[in-house]
Amino acid sequence: MSPTCLTRGILSLFLVGAMAVPLMAANPMEEIKQTTDKILSIVTNPALKAPSKTEEREKLIHQAVYERFDWEEMSRRSLATHWAKRTPEERKEFVCLFSELLERTYMKKVEGFSGEKVLYEGEAIERDYATVKVKIVTKRNKDIPVEYRLKKEGNNWFIYDVSIEGVSLVNNYRTQFNSILFQSSYEDLVKRLREKTEPK
Amino acid sequence: MKKIDLELAVGLFIIAGILCLGYLSVKLGKMEIIGERGYEIYGVFSNIGGLKVGSSVEIAGVNVGRVKSIVLDDFQARVVLNFPKDLPIQEDAIASIKTRGLIGEKYIEITPGGSEKVIKPGDRIRETQPAIDMEELISKFVFGKI
Repeated sequence: MSPTCLTRGILSLFLVGAMAVPLMAANPMEEIKQTTDKILSIVTNPALKAPSKTEEREKLIHQAVYERFDWEEMSRRSLATHWAKRTPEERKEFVCLFSELLERTYMKKVEGFSGEKVLYEGEAIERDYATVKVKIVTKRNKDIPVEYRLKKEGNNWFIYDVSIEGVSLVNNYRTQFNSILFQSSYEDLVKRLREKTEPK
Repeated sequence: MKKIDLELAVGLFIIAGILCLGYLSVKLGKMEIIGERGYEIYGVFSNIGGLKVGSSVEIAGVNVGRVKSIVLDDFQARVVLNFPKDLPIQEDAIASIKTRGLIGEKYIEITPGGSEKVIKPGDRIRETQPAIDMEELISKFVFGKI
């Protein structure tokens, strides 16, 4: 396990502890809204715009995003049929690598934020699962429909899948991982993920 | 004596022909005569883009079942799928509507999940992906820029 992964584990433990404090059962849309607002306030904060502050900014975004996702559920769903064959250590490592990969892929997009509007369109709750529909309106007035899928754990909701324009993130990775795992081995997949997440 | 033999042969031949015809019509019409085999689960899609009753349901490209019925429910499409009895579908499997080729027919592709829980007969497959509307996507690129 790489050192960043280790600190991540500790950080998430700490976050779980911190999140247990508000006892009020939140509703999924509110939680999505809170996280989005938090990220928007970081991205639009002029004090953090300077290039020297990039690291701090990324750290803050990372924290805001990290506490809203259920990384293990996401990894489990993405590996799908192959998850059962992995040992607990391999799973832990995979969760780390996968979350890092997603963060790397989407951090740039978040940082490229330029005045898009976020409209909250509604939520549907069914026992421990919920979907929240959001529309992102770009400056060119294009609508991008986004759908968050959440799962309830304790009193909070955690995202396990995001669909953009009806294309599910988990399904995308599931098919990719599946074809890699059929062509080569799990070790090769981990190697590829490592290459992608290595600091440049 | 000889006449009866001939009539018997013709009769048997006709009966065999009718049986063949019956078999063919059941096979080609995809009818099921002895009750329903397998079990059903349903999924709710925001857009099915012209999926039809009888369309195939595939896993890894293999035809495993078919669409049994489609109804409009609260302005969303409720699609009932039929699966063989010995094929459990995991709770986190994703059902997505795909198009064969660029403009071909629509079918449902199931990507199996990793959950230990399976969907019980009559239950819902929660993860669905609507059909991608090519026309809409193209128009977004064509007319998107102002």
